[in-house]
Amino acid sequence: MVHALSEIRRVLVPNGILIDLRPVLDRWQVEVASASGIRETGRMLDFPIGLADDEAANESIAKAEREGWFLREREEFFPFVYSWDSPKEMEEWISAEWEGFIDLDEETGKTTRSAWALGDADSRVCVNVKMLITRWRKLQAPS
Amino acid sequence: MSLQRDPDRIEIKLFRKYVDLKDKRVLEIGCGEGRLTWQYASASSLTAGLDLDRDALRVALIDRPSNLSSKVQFSTVKAEWLPFRKETFDIAILAWSF
Repeated sequence: MVHALSEIRRVLVPNGILIDLRPVLDRWQVEVASASGIRETGRMLDFPIGLADDEAANESIAKAEREGWFLREREEFFPFVYSWDSPKEMEEWISAEWEGFIDLDEETGKTTRSAWALGDADSRVCVNVKMLITRWRKLQAPS
Repeated sequence: MSLQRDPDRIEIKLFRKYVDLKDKRVLEIGCGEGRLTWQYASASSLTAGLDLDRDALRVALIDRPSNLSSKVQFSTVKAEWLPFRKETFDIAILAWSF
C-alpha cells in the first residue's frame, strides 16, 4: 500500500489532490426504517481480518504523511446507508459481499427480522456503514 | 434484489465539497463498476478508472454514457505500478480501495 501511495504521488501534479474515501469497521449499526421512524436492531460483528485491513491502511497513510509525501488538509466521517426490502436480502448480501470481514450475530439477526415483520408495510432493513473521507495535498519531496 | 446505496447521496455531496473536479485530469483507483465515476466524470477533462476486477470493469464499460466515451477510460492495473508519466493527473481518488 505504501508503494501504491508512492506511485500515486509520482503521477500527481505538484500540489495535486488525493481523496481517500473508504469504509471503516466500527460495528456498523443495523436498523429497520420506515416513514414513521427508525429502530436500531443491533450492530454488525467486525472480524479480525477486516480490522487488520483498516489498521494496515492507517499505517500506510501515516507513513506517507511522515515521509512528507502528502499533507492532510481535511477529513470527516459520514454515514453510507445500504438498505434492502427484507432481512433475507440483507443477509444474502452480507454473505456474498462482506463474508470474512463482518457478519450479523444471531441476536441482531433475530431482532431485525422481528422488527421488520412487525413494522410498517414500507419498512426497509438498513446497515449504516461508517465512511471516512480525507483530502491530502501532494508535497514536494523533502530534500 | 432491492438494494439501495446511499439514498440521500451523502457521499457525492461531500465528495464535491472536498474537491473541485471541473476540467481536471482524474485518476480513480478502485473504480469498480463506476458507481462513483459516473457521478463526477462529466465535469472532469479526463478520467482514468482502474480496478483489478475485470467483471466490474466490463459493467463500467457497458454503463459508460456515449458522451463520455472519449474522456473516461478503464484499465485493469495495479496501483503499485501505474502506467502513466509523472505529473499526469490533478486529482487521484482512492475509492473504497484500501
